[in-house]
Amino acid sequence: MVLEGDIGAGLIAIGAGIAVGLAGLGSGMAEKDIGAAAVGAITEDASLFGRAMIYMVLPETIVIFGLVIAILAIFVM
Amino acid sequence: MFRRNTRRGNYAYTVTRVKAKKSQLIKEEEYNKMLLMSLPEISRYMSESGYQKEMSELAGRMSGIDLVEYASYLNMSRVFTSILKASEGELYTMVSAYLEKWNIWNVKMILRGKSFGLDEKSIREDLVPAGSLKEAHLDKLLSLSTVEEILTEYSRMDSVNIPSDLIAAYMGTSGGLAVIEDYLDKFKYARLLQAIVPNSRPTLMFQDYVRREIDLVNFSTIMKLKAEGICGEANVMEYIVPGGKQIDRRTAAQLANIESVSAVSSEISQMDFYEAVKPLLDAPAVSIRAIESALRKYEMERAKKFSHMNPLSVAPVIDYMIHKETEVSNILAIARGVQSGLDIDVIKGLLVI
Repeated sequence: MVLEGDIGAGLIAIGAGIAVGLAGLGSGMAEKDIGAAAVGAITEDASLFGRAMIYMVLPETIVIFGLVIAILAIFVM
Repeated sequence: MFRRNTRRGNYAYTVTRVKAKKSQLIKEEEYNKMLLMSLPEISRYMSESGYQKEMSELAGRMSGIDLVEYASYLNMSRVFTSILKASEGELYTMVSAYLEKWNIWNVKMILRGKSFGLDEKSIREDLVPAGSLKEAHLDKLLSLSTVEEILTEYSRMDSVNIPSDLIAAYMGTSGGLAVIEDYLDKFKYARLLQAIVPNSRPTLMFQDYVRREIDLVNFSTIMKLKAEGICGEANVMEYIVPGGKQIDRRTAAQLANIESVSAVSSEISQMDFYEAVKPLLDAPAVSIRAIESALRKYEMERAKKFSHMNPLSVAPVIDYMIHKETEVSNILAIARGVQSGLDIDVIKGLLVI
């Protein structure tokens, strides 16, 4: 029983890690091109900084979903 | 998995820069305003628009039409060079290959200027150092006096093999540069097609685009020759640029053999530019200038469509370059037209909007 409990906690921890890790990886891939485009736009017109910044951080929301799943996994399951 | 593929090209960055630049191009209503201006007013208008830097740099040395011409060409070459500097990988290769056409333009301008006995300053005003030949190279070519010397130096600088019999043919004629210019124009496209290695979707797309551009050039050449009464395969084929997509050698020969301009219509009905020129070919009096203008508009539309269909590719860059080139030719048409006192409607007819 003790052994089973340890494996369960370990699997939960691995699951939480995967949730945050993959979400971070996905948002990073999405931000790669958005970031390049944002820098290009700002180079031509510095007044676009604010708008470019918003577009740039939009994919970060995906990481929040990953984080929520991780928290649920650790504290609720 | 995480290695950044630098060979692929930085499309997102370059395309966004180019799109931002495109939004700053002169709009149709601004051309209408410019048509009502005098030459000093056009210069001032340009000083307040995207040509500000070049206009203020040159204002001390030049004035009038010379200032407008030099500033617009200088601005265009700087913009194109900045795009080239911003691009990487295969995008860089494609953009630099496309910009090589300005080397040919510059050499043609120098040859024409020298053969008409113009001084270096006047020739320099029409040069666009956007290709691999920079100002120092062009100054060297300008310092030479004969066509033969210029061609020899240019072939060394740009690794162009200009056949010696071509120079001999030029020397044998009464000074007409046509044979050399035709060779250079053909060489321009041959080198561009050679530079594109069609091993990925973007390069295949670019190759297809260039081949369709060759079609437009060839069609325009055939029509111009027809208007001059030159028909027949034997006379026309020497001017045809090889490598077209829809107009191959056989189709070009067929078009060349048609005797009248209006009879061409049925022959090109399957080609994608047919709709653009159809009303002009069906008109009672066919105007070559109107056909040229329609083809130019068609090319701009095609580039725009091409760029919308392929947003992260070389297409938006080419689209911008075509639009920028058209903007400069429109500004020059207005400035020259206003200076020569042409009627507004005549100048408007010369614009490609």
